Amino acid sequence: MELDNLKTIWKEQETLAPVTDPEHLAWLLQMKSRGPIARMRRNLRVEALLMVITYIPTIIAYLVLFAGRLSLISLFLFVVLCFYAVYFYRKDRLLIKMQCVTCEVRSNLAGQVKALRKYIRFYIWSGTLVILIAMVVACCTIRYAMQLKSMPIHWWFEPPFLLAILTPFAIGLLHLNKWYASKLYGLHIEKLDAMLHEMDED
Amino acid sequence: MYGATEPDRQDLFQEIVIQLWRSYPGFRGDALFSTWLYRIALNTAISGLRKQRRVGPSIDPDQLSIPMQDMQYVNDKEEQLQQLYAAIDRLTEVEKALTMLYLEDKSYQEMEEILGISQNNLRVKMNRIKEKLRKMTKEAAYGIR
Repeated sequence: MELDNLKTIWKEQETLAPVTDPEHLAWLLQMKSRGPIARMRRNLRVEALLMVITYIPTIIAYLVLFAGRLSLISLFLFVVLCFYAVYFYRKDRLLIKMQCVTCEVRSNLAGQVKALRKYIRFYIWSGTLVILIAMVVACCTIRYAMQLKSMPIHWWFEPPFLLAILTPFAIGLLHLNKWYASKLYGLHIEKLDAMLHEMDED
Repeated sequence: MYGATEPDRQDLFQEIVIQLWRSYPGFRGDALFSTWLYRIALNTAISGLRKQRRVGPSIDPDQLSIPMQDMQYVNDKEEQLQQLYAAIDRLTEVEKALTMLYLEDKSYQEMEEILGISQNNLRVKMNRIKEKLRKMTKEAAYGIR
């Protein structure tokens, strides 16, 4: 059967198709979007909420309890929380940019590939940096607290040694993040790339 | 045409309805309403749904080959439709989009506005798709694998 012959049948089928019930449409509109970007944004909001729920009471607790002696930990947690706030905001912006459903299909795909690549890069670097920053700030806080109490600082707490430990750790973490990002988004980006290539080829 | 199973198709329909509803306030009438509508539907179908249930093809591959004694049914519209649907199901996402717009009797100009592919390129692609479908349905009808 030729595709041209199907046109007539297709039109007949179209006229036979049941008209969608307005109540059913209203019910559909009340449901949450199940698209990947909507889901990723929802997950991001949950993650951000969890961070706020766990960090804010802890920050307040360290400020108030122990007569304020451990307020330095509050500061450390606040710095980490600020970093995460920027991290979540940037990720959310990238996710919004990732989809333009009213654009031409080709430009939407191209935009999606570009934004997804940026998102993955951000995911890998920020995921590595946030752990490193948390570790560095923690070390600095402990060191500062030890200096305040005039405690002896051991050789394994000196910057050169910490740097020697942190560097291979950072490289390992970077590769782990790369592997995980590729596991999460690798196939999807390959599929988008293939579609874009198919659209462009003559 | 999109979605391997009935639940997949329902999910896709739901997602398209939601996207249409959300995008409607931004519709300024720069393009035809149908162009705008197809863009949303195809963008959602092609790149929107990432994971789909994979329980096998929507049409049994065995349905593709029709025994010689049943050839009288080949002319039956439903049978032909099933064959062609099965063949369309094997096309790529981009080819499916083109086929759908072709069946919807869209002009190449409107297809270009929806897909963002030049009209010349669309014509070439459409001819290839027709040839591919012709070959696939022929193979199915005569049981050639």
